[in-house]
Amino acid sequence: MSHPMLMPIRLTLAAICATGLLHAAPALAQQAAEVQLSYSNGAFQPGEVRAPADKPVVFRVKNLDTKAMEFESKSLRVEKVVAAKSEGVINVRPLKPGRYEFYDDFNEKARGALNVQ
Amino acid sequence: MGKRRVISMRGTIQFARHSSALTCACIALLCLGGIARADNASAWDVSSWDASSWHEIETKYIFGFTTGSGIGIEGEKEFTVDSIGRFGKRDGHYAATETKYEYEFTPSQFIQIEFGALGSTHNIGGVTDLDNRNAAAFAGGFAEFRYLALERTSNNPLSVTLAFEPNVRLIDETSGERVHNYEFETTVNADIELLRNRLYAGFNLLYEPEVTWTATDDTIREATLGGSAALSLRITPNVLVGGEVWYLRHYDSPTLSAFTGDAIMLGPTMYVQFTPKMFMIAAWNAQVWGREVGNSLPLNLSEFQRQRARLKFAWEF
Repeated sequence: MSHPMLMPIRLTLAAICATGLLHAAPALAQQAAEVQLSYSNGAFQPGEVRAPADKPVVFRVKNLDTKAMEFESKSLRVEKVVAAKSEGVINVRPLKPGRYEFYDDFNEKARGALNVQ
Repeated sequence: MGKRRVISMRGTIQFARHSSALTCACIALLCLGGIARADNASAWDVSSWDASSWHEIETKYIFGFTTGSGIGIEGEKEFTVDSIGRFGKRDGHYAATETKYEYEFTPSQFIQIEFGALGSTHNIGGVTDLDNRNAAAFAGGFAEFRYLALERTSNNPLSVTLAFEPNVRLIDETSGERVHNYEFETTVNADIELLRNRLYAGFNLLYEPEVTWTATDDTIREATLGGSAALSLRITPNVLVGGEVWYLRHYDSPTLSAFTGDAIMLGPTMYVQFTPKMFMIAAWNAQVWGREVGNSLPLNLSEFQRQRARLKFAWEF
């Protein structure tokens, strides 16, 4: 017989999973907007990119440098290490209009921004 | 020697202990600050600051006991040691700490999960209604689920997160006695960016029902209800200082039908980012007002404490 105190915990876990799925479902259903970036000599090219609002965004980051970089953004809430001479793919949820900064966490001087309209 | 003098001496010893702990914390802070300066030199070099030095920050931990809305970055993992000390009752000497050894991760861009173990210490002597005790123990475990309900954008400064934290304790937080305690802390964590990347205000709403089975088979049901407001100013790109105020109400019933007293806690907060992957927070609150039902003495020292302090170190990986 399960302990009566476990019931609210189970219900909460179920609610959290359901909420997560509800958030994930529309993102999976929509066509993502693709954003191409390259990273060389410690800088993003281009430094500013655009994407439409309320659509998932896929960043394709080509690291042309000879050392690894970490694509990171607090407002986009994503991070990914991209090895030297390789490409990283970062999936982002549908975004509200606004400006979202990103940077290389291994070299914080390298910065860029995504403008969502 | 009169009782008042004994209490006064105990108070002095207690103050000396707290001062020692504070001194150790300051030395640790300075040492770590030195490491931080070496690792992250440009962020600490005043001459190198310009508009681009003030980047976005994670707001979860910048308000002391008040929790910000941040949930981290998808895929990010963090290990933290989070100690909360509670000091001072109506009489005698009272010092209790609870430390969370916590693993935290963010599996999606909306959800953060944390879990870990609890350790506690109790140093109690001559406190009315509490047994004398000098003990350290494994105290239980906890988990926390956080859901970002409203996210901040460059056009919307407000961010709101809903959090639920079940705790299981084998040691009573206040007395240090062996118990079985189940606590279900539910909070709303909101914050507003008042000045872009510089000044933040944080707000918490708290509902914390709990049930305790004591060693003598008594069942105690109670709840704490409260709210807080905090302000945090970024004085350098890596350091925020601020203050917070908490209003807390205690009930002998989870349905909030048996009010027993309330208190206001007030104090300063500090957040220091040593490196991009390591930070600490420090906060101290003193009870500035309180009342107990059926007791005309000032402050509420039955359910709350004179002072509380928080020191937390975190490592992201």
